[in-house]
Amino acid sequence: MVLRIRLARFGNKHNPFFNIIVAQARSARGAKPLEVIGTYNPIPKRPTNLYNENADARPYKEIALDSSRAKYWLGVGAQPSDPVWKLMGMAGLVAPKPTTHDKA
Amino acid sequence: MAPRVQTRVSNSLLPYLTSTSSISSLPSSSSSQCFSRQFSVTAAPQTKLRRQMFEWLSTEGAELKHHIPGETNYVTRIKDGPMSATRPFPNNPNFVSESILSEELRNEVYNRVVEEKKSVRAVSMDLGIDMKRIAAVVRLVELEKRQREQGKHLALPYARAIHEMVPTTPLAEAGERQTYHEPINDLPAHPLTGAQIFYPVSESRPFNRVEAGRVFSSAPALEQHEAAEISHPSDLAEKVIENPKIIGWVGKGKNAREILQPADVRIPHPHMVALERDRMAHPNERRAVAERQTQRLERQDAAEQQRRDRAQARREKKLQTFTPEKSRFEYRIRETTYTEQTTGSDGRAPWAAGRRYGVPHRDRTRGEVKIPTRVEA
Repeated sequence: MVLRIRLARFGNKHNPFFNIIVAQARSARGAKPLEVIGTYNPIPKRPTNLYNENADARPYKEIALDSSRAKYWLGVGAQPSDPVWKLMGMAGLVAPKPTTHDKA
Repeated sequence: MAPRVQTRVSNSLLPYLTSTSSISSLPSSSSSQCFSRQFSVTAAPQTKLRRQMFEWLSTEGAELKHHIPGETNYVTRIKDGPMSATRPFPNNPNFVSESILSEELRNEVYNRVVEEKKSVRAVSMDLGIDMKRIAAVVRLVELEKRQREQGKHLALPYARAIHEMVPTTPLAEAGERQTYHEPINDLPAHPLTGAQIFYPVSESRPFNRVEAGRVFSSAPALEQHEAAEISHPSDLAEKVIENPKIIGWVGKGKNAREILQPADVRIPHPHMVALERDRMAHPNERRAVAERQTQRLERQDAAEQQRRDRAQARREKKLQTFTPEKSRFEYRIRETTYTEQTTGSDGRAPWAAGRRYGVPHRDRTRGEVKIPTRVEA
């Protein structure tokens, strides 16, 4: 069976929060995973723009990732889901996900 | 209750209204005031106190009607004269209204910290302003500057009026000595020191503030040779500033806390104690003492800067930012480790990063205290 690195949703209504997990592909979203290797908070946070250098800083989204565990699981054939592919591409762990524009 | 509209009442008010209007400096005629009174829905009861109030306003109180710029306009001025310029309440002489920073002084604070890049500690000592207030001034002036740049309206007439009516601390002219705005070395009472402890000490053993702090935090007494090294508690201050890790800990796990240090270490400006002791020891070497103080400050600032830089570098090493071209957002990727130590032996430790499995959310449970109940002092 395929191993997937995917997101598991936590948090309340309108307040999503994701664990980045390694799990069997056919297991339920809320089932206990093989391992939690990170978190992703999709709610953007506003930087404190009190000082001029931060004045035009963008809102940011927080990702926490255990890169050594991620590399291990990728090495043994775990397949990242599309959203996790996007995040891992940003972290430089896998080749960035091609955009629709690139494919065309 | 239905509003009572009675023309008769307004008629009975007429003598008082005319009496007030005759003394008020407003150029309104009595007839116009009477006219405006008729629109009032509620009947103003004419009591003795109300009559006395109008009497007072017309006689003694009249001089408070317009404030004199640069002076307070308190009721106490009538009775006690200009001596009581800082006591607004006649029946509470213990309340003294504190002065605020003048415009020049706050701009000077900003200049010294931001333009001249002086340390907050040095500026605080030079101008006699609490370090927390210095930080607040810098933030607020920064904010004001930004609002000016953005073309936002500022409540300048209001600010001007306030500065005219409350006592202010002026900025000293060149060559003058700056008056202190407030005591800068105050220390709030630490909760640990509230306990009454009966602690017998043998007479042969020295027992000072360092030892007392250890007793309050129930740490074992210092070894004899360690205690002998500390000639005065303020010696510790410099060591702690240069390396805060020398402060020991007591307790285990969640209850672990730092050993309470003597006040000489915890005050905002420990170096001022050192300076004063230096002055007492060498009364005739003013220049050398001043030089030593400058060196001391520089050393401490350098140590603090170094520590801050190290912390920043550590933070940046763990944090990787990614800014996609077509996105409104920035992604901050923090390197974490999920091990037995960080997530607990069963992977469910409450301090572990991420949401845990099989751990009930108690955030909506009855009686759950969500606000912090402890502040690390």
